[in-house]
Amino acid sequence: MLPLILQAAASGVVTGCVYALIALSLVIVYKSTDVINFAGGEIVMIGGYFGMLALLSLELPYVTIFLFSAAATFALGAAFDRVVLNTVLGRASPGQSILVAMVIATVGLSYVLKGSVRVVPYTEEVRRLPPLFTGEPIFLGPVILQRQDIAIVVIAVLIMLALWAFFAFTLAGKALRATSQNPRAAALVGIPVRRMRMTVWGIASALAAVAGILLAPKLLMTPDMGVIVILAFAAAIIGGFASLPGCILGGIVLGVIQNLVGLLISSKAISVAPFLVIMLILVLRPQGLFGGPVVAKKV
Amino acid sequence: MTRGAFIRGTLLGCAALIGGLAAPATAADPGITDTEIVIGLFAPMSGQLAAFGFDPLQAAKMWYEEVNKKGGIHGRKLKVIVEDDKCNPTEVVAVVKKFVTVDKTFIVHGGSCSAAAVAAQEFVTREKVPHIMLNAAGDAAVIPPTRYVFGAFAGTQRTVGGTIMEFAIKELKGKRIAYIAHDDDFGNANWATAKAVAAKMGVEVVAVERISPRITDVTAPMLKVRAANPDVIINTAYPAPAVLITQKYAEYGMTKTPIVVAVQGIPLPAVFAKNVGNDAALANLYYGSPLNDLTDGPKQQKWIQLYKQYYPDRNPGAFMTYGLPSAMAITAALEKAGKGVTRETFIDALETLNFDTGVLAGPIAFAKDRRDGHRASIFIKFDGKTHKLAPGAYFWNGKDGM
Amino acid sequence: MYGSPSLARLAPLLALLVLGAVLPPLVPQYFLYLGNLLMMYAVLALGLDLLLGWAGQFAFAHIAFFGVGVYATVLLQTKLGLPYVVAMPAAALLAGAIGLIIAIPATRLRAVYLALATFAFAEGAQWVFNSWDTMTGGADGIRISSPSLFGYAMGSDPKAFPVMTVLLAVVIAATLYLTKSKFGRSMCAIRESEHAASASGIDVRGTKILVFAISAVYAGIAGGMYTLFNSFANPEVFGFTQIVLVLSMIVVGGLGTLPGVLIGVVLLGLMPEIMRTAMRHLLVWQELVYGVILIVAMMYMPRGIWGLLPRRRRRLARA
Repeated sequence: MLPLILQAAASGVVTGCVYALIALSLVIVYKSTDVINFAGGEIVMIGGYFGMLALLSLELPYVTIFLFSAAATFALGAAFDRVVLNTVLGRASPGQSILVAMVIATVGLSYVLKGSVRVVPYTEEVRRLPPLFTGEPIFLGPVILQRQDIAIVVIAVLIMLALWAFFAFTLAGKALRATSQNPRAAALVGIPVRRMRMTVWGIASALAAVAGILLAPKLLMTPDMGVIVILAFAAAIIGGFASLPGCILGGIVLGVIQNLVGLLISSKAISVAPFLVIMLILVLRPQGLFGGPVVAKKV
Repeated sequence: MTRGAFIRGTLLGCAALIGGLAAPATAADPGITDTEIVIGLFAPMSGQLAAFGFDPLQAAKMWYEEVNKKGGIHGRKLKVIVEDDKCNPTEVVAVVKKFVTVDKTFIVHGGSCSAAAVAAQEFVTREKVPHIMLNAAGDAAVIPPTRYVFGAFAGTQRTVGGTIMEFAIKELKGKRIAYIAHDDDFGNANWATAKAVAAKMGVEVVAVERISPRITDVTAPMLKVRAANPDVIINTAYPAPAVLITQKYAEYGMTKTPIVVAVQGIPLPAVFAKNVGNDAALANLYYGSPLNDLTDGPKQQKWIQLYKQYYPDRNPGAFMTYGLPSAMAITAALEKAGKGVTRETFIDALETLNFDTGVLAGPIAFAKDRRDGHRASIFIKFDGKTHKLAPGAYFWNGKDGM
Repeated sequence: MYGSPSLARLAPLLALLVLGAVLPPLVPQYFLYLGNLLMMYAVLALGLDLLLGWAGQFAFAHIAFFGVGVYATVLLQTKLGLPYVVAMPAAALLAGAIGLIIAIPATRLRAVYLALATFAFAEGAQWVFNSWDTMTGGADGIRISSPSLFGYAMGSDPKAFPVMTVLLAVVIAATLYLTKSKFGRSMCAIRESEHAASASGIDVRGTKILVFAISAVYAGIAGGMYTLFNSFANPEVFGFTQIVLVLSMIVVGGLGTLPGVLIGVVLLGLMPEIMRTAMRHLLVWQELVYGVILIVAMMYMPRGIWGLLPRRRRRLARA
């Protein structure tokens, strides 16, 4: 039994990093703009398809497709913020919460992305992006791991560290944090709030695209693969929705729990495990496993 | 005028009125005139399951056009009104109600999704309108059979389960079977018959894994399957999970064990192989199909060529020919019922049908107590490059698992 | 603005009842079906609006209570033999009770956490509907046989239509009373600022819990309405797409406004039918168009359609 549990746990760590990468994208947007991005999964999806386009039609080398897809989705996310969300915000009277409208706008974006991808007949069939790393699987004792899996874990941790450093140490990162904590004060000290928001959306989208290209070999590509966003939300919550390292840890916890539940209880229960975990965590510890004390937002 | 004239006039007027009212009592059903029969045709033409309904619907339309070209049926042309149901029960009900109460079609022909078919069942039965499904499996709507609903033109999931288990036992000599199915209505149906067939043939099912259609990590189920040490693995999952399962099956070193994939998991074998990305995984892979040949095999070519003539801009997908048998059954029954066909005689005619479609592995057959048209499967060994048809077709007897 | 609704405001409800009696023999069943569908959505939307539009609580558990309403109404009739007239209110109260239980831990959560926790609950509920084979029929769904009201069989659209109008009228009237009462003022206060509301002496937690429960009752009633004109339900009906639809209805129509919500229900409820007919040759583009409509609606009417009317906008700002 132990080898089985170890294998389940190891695979869970890998899948968890998958969720974590998407969760990072969601959390960045939330931390900076208070918006829950319901299109997060679809941006991952479209990032994957851009990557596929670059690899198979334009025949770019693999590393370049990351850049191509990230650039394309950066533009997409930034444009969405600039064109749509800005307009929504602009119509709010001061003091009014327009959050719900922005969330519905992201729902609209998810339909637009899904709809535009579905029109292309190529996407009717389930497709697979060839993995970045191929070759013999790696054996860690009784545990079997694919090279792509290890790459996913390493890249996820690296990205998380890079983002954390960005927010903590660079001027731009600090400006972004200031914008999220108090947009008016940030504007007063000369931070270009609108441009900051656009940048955040761009970064988050590029991040989602990178996640998409890493995950597509593992998850298989359909226009509906965005549904995985639910698990990314779960990962983010477990980690404490406003914490970046929390995303990784939350994702890993989720992935491992799902697999252990599947192994030890039943495969049928796999799909409900994340939701039970969310509810338990929020009831017992609303700030998640790694979040700070719950801060009441400005009145 | 005189009082007499007035009374006579009124009486004549009343008689005319009564005569006019009485006449419709023997009039034909709606949707049928001397020159045309109106059919309400629907399938998912957009949304997540469009691939499952778009081409079959066009194939059905194509068949009707061919019949019209040959002069129609008893001098009547077939007129088709098309609607998109998105495989959504609310939309299906709306579409069917529109066909029956607004467009007043003679019959409704459509449905590529089982749950949606069940949603409309009560309405068509109450209104006494024949509903012939398109390519839906429609298990719950045809078993138990009800008078007005005909379906399973590509086989029910019960057929899939029964035949795949029989193939695993008879051809692959399985004695310890591992069975993977989804936890949805498809999984319920195919597992029910598979279980019964295994029990009937005295074979043990050593592992049963019911997984969500949206599963992303099949580690846990596959570990359990491997631990159970089966000698045949049956995989009835949908395309994405089916690929994941096959990949893990190779990753965990199980490729010496034959694996049989049900039709719903492998619409286009070449794409499936590419997705698995590892031909070693396909060394012992088989898949099932309700057709009489490979999807692009010689027996299917004539339909594919015809489709290309009608719709040159569209590549017929994996399911195109699945739309033909139901249309064929409809025109055959209309022929049989004769010029004075009504909804009731149409149904009676359908019940007598038993014919080879030239598309499917077995005949389409109905009876007074049978509403699932097709009960056969063929199986093909596929190693990533070549297909090898296993001999014979497998049939579900309509009783196992009931 | 507050106080009992005047008779003038209740008059349109009479018109609704008259329509309910008069339309069925005149209009093809297809349109009656659409009407029934919209009326059911209206009750769902009004319930969600109480929670989100009036009390400002971003909660997504609504669809689970809808499911409870549907399954409980059917099961109380089939397993316990209760007549519809008893089963439906009982099911609605059951939904309300579950809502109450959920509300107790949920109301401790803020904004995004509340949204995601209640969403998780809804997904969990859908899993239960899918797995509890013996009660709900599991993935195969449940067949709904025609409920009857003192011998009047309601299972078809024309028969159900008048009953639906009565139910909707009752719900609208209840909403009017609720929102114009002191309770309504409390909800608004909480929406604007929980701290200020608490400082004014409003029992914030208690009010929030009560709104949750009441909105769950609305969803349960909508579930009972579903069983009047549908013959089948499966867990797919109680999923994410549905809650997004209802949410879109109230946001596009106008959060916190009764006429706005109803307009949103009609527009987004009929949208699939309109798109399907209007886009007959471009069916595959429907999804994209729907997304564009949502985005454009939010860009130019973030307060909803009702929020566009200048008089209303000023009124809302004052309240």
